Amino acid sequence: MSDPGNSEFLNPLSLESRRVLVTGAASGIGRATCRLLSRLNARVVAVDVDEPGLESLDQDLTGEGHARFGFDLADVERIPAWMAELALAGGPLSGVVHAAGLPCVQPLRLLTPALYRKVLLVNTEAALALARGFQKKAVGDPRGGSIVFISSVMASAGASGAAVYSLSKAALHGLARSLAIELAPGKIRVNCVAPGFVQTPMFDRMSSPWDTQQRARVEADHPLGLGTPVDVANSIAFLLADTGRWITGSVLTVDGGYTAH
Amino acid sequence: MDYRIRIDGGRRLHGALGNTRVSMNSNNLTLITGASSGTGRQIAVHLSQTRRLILHGRDSTRLLETRALCRNPADHVLWNFDLREGDEIEASLEHLIQADQLAIEGFVHSAGTLKIQPLRLVDRGAAHEIIDVNFMAALEILRLLVRKKINDKHLRGVVFISSTASKFGARGFSVYCASKGALDAFMRAAAVELAPDVRVNSVLPGATRSAMTAAMLSDTELRSRMEADYPLGIGDPDDVAWAVEYLLSDKARWITGQEFVVDGGRTVNITA
Repeated sequence: MSDPGNSEFLNPLSLESRRVLVTGAASGIGRATCRLLSRLNARVVAVDVDEPGLESLDQDLTGEGHARFGFDLADVERIPAWMAELALAGGPLSGVVHAAGLPCVQPLRLLTPALYRKVLLVNTEAALALARGFQKKAVGDPRGGSIVFISSVMASAGASGAAVYSLSKAALHGLARSLAIELAPGKIRVNCVAPGFVQTPMFDRMSSPWDTQQRARVEADHPLGLGTPVDVANSIAFLLADTGRWITGSVLTVDGGYTAH
Repeated sequence: MDYRIRIDGGRRLHGALGNTRVSMNSNNLTLITGASSGTGRQIAVHLSQTRRLILHGRDSTRLLETRALCRNPADHVLWNFDLREGDEIEASLEHLIQADQLAIEGFVHSAGTLKIQPLRLVDRGAAHEIIDVNFMAALEILRLLVRKKINDKHLRGVVFISSTASKFGARGFSVYCASKGALDAFMRAAAVELAPDVRVNSVLPGATRSAMTAAMLSDTELRSRMEADYPLGIGDPDDVAWAVEYLLSDKARWITGQEFVVDGGRTVNITA
């Protein structure tokens, strides 16, 4: 069989001519995702509440046509209208990656609404609002789209003190399943990537009180060791690109074997 | 028949997932079982774009057909063997590896057999056959591929072609469901035991257009019923192959012990 012309020079993960919104873009998984997507020729719309962090992202991106917005995703009511504005200004979106997330490690007796409300807003409700914004005609690219929610192994595992975080992430799996069916006729796919413990600024903050023993135990819980943000970004790109065109309502767990053991 | 044509006229994807073009012209091969037909053949044709393969199959004529469909046919090694002969797998595979000094870095278990029978009519012989091919053969081959004497420490990535039948029931599918459930449970245990040297994952595909489903899909009524079940429509075998290629590649270096459902949304569509 003869080779298809120039096939070796085409990358199936290519996001050429696609515009992708990434939340939590200033650090960790979101930042690594922006970096990777720009190398796959996507135009990236980087969103984060941390504006100085966003500014420093510019040096990580290749290509042109990227945009950045300082936006607090806890302001869920404004999300759909704000997405309509940014689509009007810079063109429709082909993908949304919700990587923004707040940690929450608290024993139940200290879990007051004042403490957890913002976690649920940013981790969970913002995902719903992003999907609402994305499905609007003028926002989503008519060629079709892909939504990826970054959940967590805590969506299916449990840990003392992780009640709210776990709840906020498990809800994303339920959300993705129903939206997958509802949005399929509009050619929008909805999936989750569920990472294990990844070396990010959030993880560093969370693990700073741990002693060596505790850290070793968490590492040992991952048969392949702790992950890096790019390990997760690869799977996000796979689900955004045409390689994932028949995948919807799925959870791709990227956790070094954490949930398998 | 060219299995690489997408029937619905969708855009074809070519090329490798990033810099995964290794192995070609080297002695590092990927073994794919069940390559003589169905999903296995299509995965083989897809992976042959970037990898040297050992094509396993029971039917030698169809195995040769698969090789002819592959890129650079002469590069790929054939393993003509019946996996129902569980006791003979070791001798046959060992002979194949040693005769050609092969190093197997990837293993895709796609061989599978299905017999739809109501539970009250299941006979033990048929049940054993399904369990032997769908599950026991994967266990036996993986066991051999991680033995230093046979394959040194060459093995890196393993993907089992499971099925959504591993998670959900269907009438007449009891043995098949059990065999795929066993395969996935084994996958997780092997992933934990073989980490960090070898990664082991499953892909759970829905129904794709293939020679196997062509008859079903030519029945207009059945076809429209199936299409209604799949939010994204019936899939292309390549859509499953991309997931296999991804999980074998270094891009998935932190993924092990996972079930990856690739089914156009079929299993979340509980109303179907």
